[in-house]
Amino acid sequence: MGLLLDIVVYGAVQSGIYVLLSLGFSLTFGVAGIFNLAHGTFYMGAAYLFYSCMNSLGLGLSLSLVVSVTGMGLLALIIQKWFINPVIHSGISVMIITVAIANFLEQVVLCTYGPVDRNLNSFIDKKLLVLGTVSIDAQRMLALGVSIILLAVLYIFISKTKPGRAILAVAQDREGAIFVGIDPLKVFFLVIFIAAILAGIAGDFIAPTIGARPDMWLKPLTMCFAVVILGGLGSLTGTVLAALIIGYSEVIVSFALSSYMSELVPFVIILIVLAFKPSGLMPARQSQT
Amino acid sequence: MGKYVYFALALAMLLVAPMFIKSRVIIDLLILCNIYAIFLSSWDLVGGYTGQISFGHSLFIGGGAYTAGLLNYYFQVPPYVTIPLGGIVAAALALLIGVFALRVKGAYLALVTFAAAAVPVTLTAIFWEYSGGDDGLSGISPLSVDVVTRYYLSAALLVLCGGILIFITRSSYGLVLLSIRDNETASMAVGIDVRKYKVITFVISGFLAGIAGAFYCHNQLHVGPAELKPAFSVLVVLMAVAGGMGTIIGPMLSGYFLIFLNDWLRFSENYKMMIYTGVIVIILLVCPRGLYPAIASGIKRVVHK
Amino acid sequence: MATGVLEIRGLTKYFGGLRAIDDVNVSISKGELVGVIGPNGAGKTTFFNLITGFVVPDGGEVLVNGVDVAGWSPHRVVQEGVSRTFQITRMFSSLKVIENVIVALLARKGMGILSSSRAHVEEASAILERVGLHDKIGLLAGSLGQGDQRKLELARATATKPNVLLIDEPFSGLSLKEVEVLIPLIQKLNKEGLNIVIIEHKLRELMRLAKRVLVLNFGRLIADGTPEEITNDEEVVEAYLGKERGNFGAP
Repeated sequence: MGLLLDIVVYGAVQSGIYVLLSLGFSLTFGVAGIFNLAHGTFYMGAAYLFYSCMNSLGLGLSLSLVVSVTGMGLLALIIQKWFINPVIHSGISVMIITVAIANFLEQVVLCTYGPVDRNLNSFIDKKLLVLGTVSIDAQRMLALGVSIILLAVLYIFISKTKPGRAILAVAQDREGAIFVGIDPLKVFFLVIFIAAILAGIAGDFIAPTIGARPDMWLKPLTMCFAVVILGGLGSLTGTVLAALIIGYSEVIVSFALSSYMSELVPFVIILIVLAFKPSGLMPARQSQT
Repeated sequence: MGKYVYFALALAMLLVAPMFIKSRVIIDLLILCNIYAIFLSSWDLVGGYTGQISFGHSLFIGGGAYTAGLLNYYFQVPPYVTIPLGGIVAAALALLIGVFALRVKGAYLALVTFAAAAVPVTLTAIFWEYSGGDDGLSGISPLSVDVVTRYYLSAALLVLCGGILIFITRSSYGLVLLSIRDNETASMAVGIDVRKYKVITFVISGFLAGIAGAFYCHNQLHVGPAELKPAFSVLVVLMAVAGGMGTIIGPMLSGYFLIFLNDWLRFSENYKMMIYTGVIVIILLVCPRGLYPAIASGIKRVVHK
Repeated sequence: MATGVLEIRGLTKYFGGLRAIDDVNVSISKGELVGVIGPNGAGKTTFFNLITGFVVPDGGEVLVNGVDVAGWSPHRVVQEGVSRTFQITRMFSSLKVIENVIVALLARKGMGILSSSRAHVEEASAILERVGLHDKIGLLAGSLGQGDQRKLELARATATKPNVLLIDEPFSGLSLKEVEVLIPLIQKLNKEGLNIVIIEHKLRELMRLAKRVLVLNFGRLIADGTPEEITNDEEVVEAYLGKERGNFGAP
């Protein structure tokens, strides 16, 4: 029973982080039709920026959070404007240029901070007892809490506010959105900004538990890929469900076998989807051929 | 007919290089260039020529390298056996992955192959006792103690693999690949079994990459996870695209250029990789179609003046 | 039971809850040139897609000379003798006109990849000459005008040596002059033994070509007869014009 509760809680934390990370990636695809392979860089960059803010600049927790996350948002806007927009007509070109940038930024970070993993201090250096028997870092529970709150905020934003609905409009029917006066390019900027913010927050909150490495942008990307393939074409609910499935699967495999084996989960899931239903878990609007 | 002149020239340069270049270091670099030329151009067959971008090339390169490395390290299998076997293992991997992955198109293929590329490294970690884990396996048999011999072996391999690639692309088979890249639906509509062509091409590409990977292992006397990581796949794609997607020759040339650039940047050990990857970004921005098409059209314009 | 060249029995397709094609039964006999008409959204292109393998049917059979190809992938349907053109032309725009046809030749069984390319060029040239594109064989397909693109699509489709050719809206977007060039070409292909089924909106032109017309509406086959019969069919007129009778097939 104790093991089951462990899985429930740790799985929730893992899924929460994955939701934060994959929502942005899925959103950019669903709205702008592109895969931004520099998405993991927001996650990595925020963690390092946060580290510098806390340790080199002594900015304190809240300010460091704000600076690091906003910094990633700005980076996202720069990438969108100077690198993605010029080639946005070709999905492949976007993937190539964004992966080239991600590659470059990894080296920048490596040069700036050196190859040794950086350790960040947890915000709350405690262990909690959750659901009676589960012992878990407060930091992780914090990350889970933040994920849930942000998911709710995002949901409200998208369904209730004007910019949010503009995002929905462009995602569903770009021509129609243009027709009613929405500028898709502005919406793309908004979406990638949100994606970076979410990924950056994920990075800030989870880095204290796993450390920061320059190549930490790669593994989350694989996970995001699995989420998109499992969750279907940019469907928001599908994304959250897929993130839950992957997060929990990883934790279960981790407990049952080993954490190395859990790294194989995203790929295995992709394989299963490809073998049985290439259109994904939550197919978007049925399209005529 | 003009094309053949260039090929003959390139072949001649390839053959006589060691007679003019006495520096062992540069010959070593040229060997590396030849190997990378195969890495990159074999990717281009599938990625550029058929239009199927794959981030899984490290599977084949690393797969070939580890096949050679494991066979040689544990069973002392000699290079002239491990190298073809490396190609065959890589080809088998390509078949396995291709059958699944090539069901999906474009961007999704890139994602799937990227995810697949992450698997082998995890396997080397899980089975670290056999694979040597992060350190890999050292003490692999050399191809030859003489650097010039090694150079000629690498040149022969390049001519062989490059020849196969050029022959394929210039043939009717190549025309079918171009039709698939241009308009897959139309290809199907005229009776082309698109999936079969994609898988076969993927296997050929994997085979060549595997051979080159195995060769690389014997050249470096070492095999490790560096060539197996998705990051290496990313590098292969970027280097090939920088050379010129779909040209086969372009990636070969960019292989040469970038290997030499990488070596030249030795003077700045700290910033080397940063500058190197930055140069790649700049190339992609300035010459979106790649260096080779940009230079070729530049030369054409100058010649026609 | 008469077995035509193309027999369609109980063909059905749902998209979500919508019945795109609803229990369609048709028999096409040797030598026929049949038209398919219907209001927008009637399912005409879906009908072609189902026959040629681009969409998998939910039910029914598609018998080509007795062989049920329903659900087969497109290239296999082509091998079985059914070729099609597309409503919006799908050229290999980056390839030359002659290469477009050569690709179709390469797909044929027995026409190996390794066989002489001169043979390919000769046969492709002959095919292009038949459709009147022999002076453009070296041009890039993407540079052709609409009329020529349609001709190229026809050339490419015939290169696969089909038994049945499905032509999807060949006259759409063409000028009167271009249409006048295409009509005799299609008639010639039919006279040479090619069974043809054409989807068209330009009813006047279609009636000149087809002596038998199928009418689809909401995925159902609501009429099957001569042009005169269907112009006078109440249900057909209603489908096109709502409940009013009006000039049908006239400018």
